[in-house]
Amino acid sequence: MTPPVLAASGITKNYRLGKQSIPVLRGVDLAVQQGEILALLGASGAGKSTLLHVLGLLDQPTTGEILFDGEPVQNLPVRERARLRHSHTGFVFQFYHLIPELTALQNVMLAGMMTKSVLQYWAIRKQARREATEILEQVGLADRLKHRPSELSGGERQRVAIARALLARPRVILADEPTGNLDSTTADGVVDLMFRIQKERNLAFVLVTHDEDLAQRADRIVRMKDGVVLSSAAVR
Amino acid sequence: MYRLFLAIRYLLTRPINLLGMFGIALSVWALVVVVSLFSGFIATVEEHVHSASADVSVSNLPAWAKWSKLRAALADEPNLSAMAPRLVHYGLIHHPGKRPAPPPLPGRTALHGGDQPFLFVLGIHAAEEAAATGFGGWITDPDIAPELRVKDPQNALAPQHGVPSVLLGVERMRAEGLRPGDTLVLTTGVLRTAPDGTKSPQQVQIPLVIAGAYKTKHGGFDGNNLFVDIGTLQQELLEGDTDAVHEIAIAVRDESQLDETADRIARIVHRAVDRGDQMARGTAQTWREKNLAFLQSVEHQRALLKIVLIVIMVTAAFLMLATLSMMVTEKTSDIGILTAMGGTPLGVTSVFLACGLTITAIGVLLGIGVGSLTAIYLEEVRQALLWAFGIDLFPLQVYNLDRVPCHIDPLWLVQVAGMAFGTGFVVSVLPALRAALYDPLISLRGT
Ligand SMILES: Nc1ncnc2c1ncn2[C@@H]1O[C@H](COP(=O)(O)OP(=O)(O)OP(=O)(O)O)[C@@H](O)[C@H]1O
Ligand SMILES: [Mg+2]
Repeated sequence: MTPPVLAASGITKNYRLGKQSIPVLRGVDLAVQQGEILALLGASGAGKSTLLHVLGLLDQPTTGEILFDGEPVQNLPVRERARLRHSHTGFVFQFYHLIPELTALQNVMLAGMMTKSVLQYWAIRKQARREATEILEQVGLADRLKHRPSELSGGERQRVAIARALLARPRVILADEPTGNLDSTTADGVVDLMFRIQKERNLAFVLVTHDEDLAQRADRIVRMKDGVVLSSAAVR
Repeated sequence: MYRLFLAIRYLLTRPINLLGMFGIALSVWALVVVVSLFSGFIATVEEHVHSASADVSVSNLPAWAKWSKLRAALADEPNLSAMAPRLVHYGLIHHPGKRPAPPPLPGRTALHGGDQPFLFVLGIHAAEEAAATGFGGWITDPDIAPELRVKDPQNALAPQHGVPSVLLGVERMRAEGLRPGDTLVLTTGVLRTAPDGTKSPQQVQIPLVIAGAYKTKHGGFDGNNLFVDIGTLQQELLEGDTDAVHEIAIAVRDESQLDETADRIARIVHRAVDRGDQMARGTAQTWREKNLAFLQSVEHQRALLKIVLIVIMVTAAFLMLATLSMMVTEKTSDIGILTAMGGTPLGVTSVFLACGLTITAIGVLLGIGVGSLTAIYLEEVRQALLWAFGIDLFPLQVYNLDRVPCHIDPLWLVQVAGMAFGTGFVVSVLPALRAALYDPLISLRGT
């Protein structure tokens, strides 16, 4: 059997607050298989975002291991971890985090520039532009390429953010309440889009949400409380 | 690639950054233009001072120094091409029967010799002086109006109808309305020794007739010196001692050996006149040493201006620091997502560094480029200003110039660019460091 695309074992995370050490994650084990949608549920403050950041190598766990395709990665050099953030995982956040100075197309293209030198990028600039355009077309924004984030609706912004997360062809998408800021109709559209692309590309998908109905559309639901996993159950 | 791309986008969407760029450019511009102007001015002043001086001057000779002996001793100096004896005295001149000369014009005394009638009286041997200094050119300068010129330059100081001749600076002649043929009285004094050994001052008045005007390029020299024949002074002041000498003007063959030659000449003179008194054995100075105080005063002004302008550059850098800091504060929210997309903390920091360095680079290039152009075409700029606004940046007549002097020193350009880059780098690093210390997760958790 192939190892899980993304796995965590024995993850703890303490935040230091002055002299105090606050445990936020207390021994989390988790594995996500290729093509699997995993919903992460839990009350506010349970440590969902923290876990997601640790899984995506944005934050270092206090103890424990993160494995990409069975390989421990949390102790790799800074540059290597940055490269894995780029190529292995894509992030989608509640507040989009688009760069306001850039158009939708530029925001997406930026993702392709992250690990390339000027010369390398110059050589592939036409292709890079075409790929970014195609992805924006896939998320339904073919006529919004030249719009700035301030000229886009919330749903459209999140679609740009999804396109950006997909550009580097990651194998895992980590989404932190991607619909938390949208009305239910728009949210449905965005979720449909994400799940459609997930199927097409056979991605592993970790979805943090407070929405039980949304969680029911996942393959598996993991419930967290106070930094530990309460339950992990397949849906249906 | 993302660094360059973002840096450019950040800058283009924030015109306020032009302010810092403009500040840097302006201060670099000022440093280039003002210092080039001053360097040109210094070079011109040196040339002018040189033209009015002998290459090497022997002075401070003791009373017992003898021209015949010194001439014989100095003849051995290989780098000496010509020498001329001088007597140096002081005196007041006035034009009998005319109103006294007007008082000195304020502010014109230092550089221009002013109008004070208390002058150096240089007793020279015209033919020998012409060989050792630019004297021959001074009395035939084309700028001297024909009616003020010496009639017979070969015998410039020949007595006229038994009256000794005198040469005055052309400006003084013009200012006081004097003409060749006018008579002047030189009033001076000497210490005479009575038979009992006591010394007492005695007034001497020497009637003189103006032979014509002279003009060196150094207005300060012309205003303060007049030439008479050395024999006149020997006769009237030194009891007919035809071997007396106060100063020797020397021309050298090889200017590059000037300092060494002056040293050798000093030693020759010391040997020739030494009577065991350290103070009374003469000195030999190059033209530069002789005018050192004056030349250095101009250089001090240049140094002061440099300091002022560098302070302005630092001020401009603060402006840049302010705009860059504002930008970093605004853009911390981008740091999180850039990190998530695969940026390293160092890489994200360098976006902000690149912004600062781009501003600096463009500012410096702009400043150096426009500054050099302005310096090269300074005379044209001056004339344009004069024509358009009636403002004269640099009154040329005051300094005896025909165009605004300018000397662009490539080393100075490199130094200015280096300084500007240095300050620009420092003020770029500071906000970038702040960005580096920012935790990317903060922006990812919140809005
Ligand atoms: N930098 C920090 N320093 C100290 N404590 C922190 C820090 N970041 C997060 N925490 C704490 O960690 C705990 C978990 O936070 P986290 O954001 O992971 O919760 P969450 O499950 O995502 O909550 P929500 O559903 O509201 O997003 C919270 O109690 C929070 O106060
Ligand atoms: Mg959260």
